[in-house]
Amino acid sequence: MGKKEFLQGNQAMAESAIRAGCKLYFGYPITPSSEVPEYYAKAMIERPEEGITFIQAETEVSAFNMVAGAVATGHRAMTATSGPGFSLGQEAVSYMSAGDLPGVIVEVMRPGPGDGEILASQGDYFQAVKGGGHGDYQTLVLAPYSVQELCELMQESFELAEKYRNPVILLSDATLAKMRESVELPGYVEQKDPASKPNALRGCGKNEPHKVVTCGDGPVQWEEFNARLQAKYKRIAENEVRYATYNLEDAEIILVAFGSMARVCESAMKMAREKGLKVGMIRPISLWPFPDKAFEGITGKKFLVCELNAGQMVQDVKLAVENKRDVYFYGKLGGTTPSPKNVLAEIEKLGGESK
Amino acid sequence: MKKELLFSGIGGQGVITLGETLCDAAIKAGYNVTFVPFYGQEKRGGRTMCNIVVSDGVESPIISEADIMLIFDERSLRDYQSLMSEGGTMILNSDLVELEPETACKDIRRIPFSTMAQEVGNSKTANVIALGYIAKFLPMIPYDLIAAEVERSFAAKPKLIPLNLKALKTGYDYTDR
Repeated sequence: MGKKEFLQGNQAMAESAIRAGCKLYFGYPITPSSEVPEYYAKAMIERPEEGITFIQAETEVSAFNMVAGAVATGHRAMTATSGPGFSLGQEAVSYMSAGDLPGVIVEVMRPGPGDGEILASQGDYFQAVKGGGHGDYQTLVLAPYSVQELCELMQESFELAEKYRNPVILLSDATLAKMRESVELPGYVEQKDPASKPNALRGCGKNEPHKVVTCGDGPVQWEEFNARLQAKYKRIAENEVRYATYNLEDAEIILVAFGSMARVCESAMKMAREKGLKVGMIRPISLWPFPDKAFEGITGKKFLVCELNAGQMVQDVKLAVENKRDVYFYGKLGGTTPSPKNVLAEIEKLGGESK
Repeated sequence: MKKELLFSGIGGQGVITLGETLCDAAIKAGYNVTFVPFYGQEKRGGRTMCNIVVSDGVESPIISEADIMLIFDERSLRDYQSLMSEGGTMILNSDLVELEPETACKDIRRIPFSTMAQEVGNSKTANVIALGYIAKFLPMIPYDLIAAEVERSFAAKPKLIPLNLKALKTGYDYTDR
């Protein structure tokens, strides 16, 4: 077992990205994600042997497009942003999707709409999961719930992005980003020659050329282009579902939560169990593809979906369960996060069977 | 074992630094610790608050009820007194908080941290005095570990170490009842 360190989410995540071989960072600072560009800027100066490049773009529009350009060379690249910046980057996410470009984007959610506030929220679930840009595309969306998982999924984001040649969104929030806790940082990941990667542009030489194409040359051809993307999304949906379940065996009430809210719910579940209430939890880790199969075959239970928004993931839960009348919702609109005690009160309202 | 703490004040009073120093010591003492800061968009003078959980297992970083609450201004008291545990300890900086708390908590301590800081020789040490005072309520985090972290946090300004260790001791030795 490696050494545990007491680190902030943003900083530990940035270090994990560097160790995953992401040497190119493009971004524009915005709270609560600003420690990520700060970390890369420092690393560029203090660790010259690692060949890190940090560029502060003039806006997130540029930063996202710089990521798109960089990953087209086979190098790993990322940006991190929050709400308003994530909105600005959506055009580039659509283009990366069309161009099979493995850009990695960290979205640290804060409450909107507009400038909003800088504390925790999950109000950008729809934007991340349903696609904030134009066109029939999907990005993988991963939602960690601890600093440890933030680091591990950061590294995995690069692997998945390259495996499927598709953008990946790591969905963090202000609590996870600003929180400090014990973490064992993941190690360095050996990198291949970027030019040898299938996503790297090739125009000449003996090899088959590889071009990035984002526009059609005819309606029939564009239909085929999109069908190929859809086939890729189907492959991802079949292979990359991730979730965790807790105490489902005898549960009468099943909490459903992701990210920092899942952390609160885990404690609420423990408190409920101590009171004799049969409570379990399903924690989606991949938000797209959504873990429908975690809900398969579960009948006669109540699902209490807890989110830091007005009710977004709850719609996907209703599509996944056998009977949508079993689904209840508890949410706060971001800024303040409910405590385990607040969630316990909601569980008690639903009347978990006590023994 | 699980202790939930909430420290709140105004930006610049050192409430967040106090919390981080305590967390670093709690980690060295072998506990699971989470530290979540909350602050406004102001550069100065905005509200600053932190939630700290020290426990044996993995817990929610968002607290349900504060076992120990430290309040450095009246707005913080109004905002967070509802999170005070009935059986916990509420600690008010009596130099800055005159409001009567509305809470079922029986153990309310009014400590003149700002006056004490002036007596120690630097008004900026009020937070370190408060840390020393809080340490008494958390015997599972040895005082020496906290002192070592205070020392470490001033590594860049070693001239200030003796003053701050004195402030810490002043808070720790203070008896109010």
